[in-house]
Amino acid sequence: MIHMSNLMMRYKTGKVALSGINMDIPQGSFVYLIGESGAGKSTLMKMMYGGIRPTSGQLEVQGTKVRDASEHQIRELRQRTGIIFQGNRLLNSRTIFENVALPLRVQGWDAERLLPRVKKVLSFVGLEDRLWSYPETLSGGEQQRVAIARAMLSNPSLILADEPTGNLDDDTARHVLDLLMALNKLGTTIIMATHDLHLLTSHPGLVVQLRQGALVTGQQHEKV
Amino acid sequence: MKKSSRAPSKKFTEHKSSMRLPGGWQLPPFGVHQVLALAIVAVALWSVAIIWLALQGGEQWVGSWQDEIKVHVYVDKNQQESLASLQANLRDIDGIEDVRLVSDGETQAWMEKWLGGEDLDAASFSKHLPASVEVTLQEPRGVTVLDEIRDVAAAQSAEINEDELQLVEAGDVLGSIQSLAWFATIILAMAMALIVSNTLRMILLARAEEVHLMRLMGAKEWFVRLPFVLEGLLLGAGAGFAAWILMWPLIWFTADWQSNLSVDLSGWVLLLPLIFGGAVVGALGALIATANIVAPETDS
Repeated sequence: MIHMSNLMMRYKTGKVALSGINMDIPQGSFVYLIGESGAGKSTLMKMMYGGIRPTSGQLEVQGTKVRDASEHQIRELRQRTGIIFQGNRLLNSRTIFENVALPLRVQGWDAERLLPRVKKVLSFVGLEDRLWSYPETLSGGEQQRVAIARAMLSNPSLILADEPTGNLDDDTARHVLDLLMALNKLGTTIIMATHDLHLLTSHPGLVVQLRQGALVTGQQHEKV
Repeated sequence: MKKSSRAPSKKFTEHKSSMRLPGGWQLPPFGVHQVLALAIVAVALWSVAIIWLALQGGEQWVGSWQDEIKVHVYVDKNQQESLASLQANLRDIDGIEDVRLVSDGETQAWMEKWLGGEDLDAASFSKHLPASVEVTLQEPRGVTVLDEIRDVAAAQSAEINEDELQLVEAGDVLGSIQSLAWFATIILAMAMALIVSNTLRMILLARAEEVHLMRLMGAKEWFVRLPFVLEGLLLGAGAGFAAWILMWPLIWFTADWQSNLSVDLSGWVLLLPLIFGGAVVGALGALIATANIVAPETDS
């Protein structure tokens, strides 16, 4: 699914965000990406959907070599990848339906075709009755569930989640993680950047730790 | 759940009319910014329309729509002997296409037409008219030709039709004004494109997050930009139509003045140029606005 070989990212300012990362993530994994702020988590996440390109080394995501990929290939990679952003990034001026529909809308789907699909994913996250509400009327946890619904709409084989539980209380965070786990059980690879290490105790997965752009550990975290 | 996921619900039908899915052929909502831009562009297009309408009137007045420009030189019938030398001297002027003596028959026909078919003896009137030499000028015309014709006429004690010469000179001035009109049109078109571009840029800034998200989800560039280009196009075309409507009161209010100058202004000939011109300017403004959307690779 994802292959990294001597992956390196140096910004124009000279700062090295990632250095010499070697890692393989198989299909169907649930990976926690942990590390302090500035460790390179967000850089690695952005790289995995083609937001930035490696300075050197190789990164292959779902068969696409990110470093040398054309813009067309990057677009296709993004269409096959679900992204849950830090702070969910829902559009407040648009309804939940319009927000969730976005990944397939950009592929040209019309409203009639989108409706059953959007309803299906919203029912998965338990928000089917909020189809015509606006994000601001939802709680933080509900908004994050909408973000999950949006990420899973196009049935992607990979979901990248950047701090999806960052601003949530423990119970809501666990509920969000339950949803991601459920998606993982359906075969979707989940890569989740997080600071909430206590969640690992209840939701086990592969832990990848970064420190100052370098890989520290990559191991199966046992359920405690 | 299965039942409701298949058939569009009543609520979906209700929301569908107000639904504006982003991207593609879907136009962004029409707000106060667009109304203001439409009004400003309409006024600018109206100014352009007035300039070209005035030129149209000027051209009709000087008769520059004619293929050939002709002036007439008159010689008293008592000086018939100098007629041949007058024609020869006129032919020698560089820039003269043709010189010919107007026949008595033509003079009589002109007199009958001038008398308006009244029961008067045109033949006896025309006998008292001087002999007329018609001079056809070459185009493009040299700057000294008219003065040379005047000099030859004066040397032969002939009279020149000064009204015709003045119209020819007015036609020259109109030619210069036309160049200025093109210049003003281009400058105003650029200003209009910038106004549309600025309006769309404000809308783009307000919707930057949406554009960014669409790209992160793999939207094609045309899909992201098309709504804005469509909006610019419609905004320009709408402003063109509004300018055309606003032009009519001016045509009606100047009807008497037009009639006095034998001018008949046509607003209809400006309909398509205003609509298409407005649409082109609007689309250009949209392209300028969307060209500056940050490229996907640097978006993050």
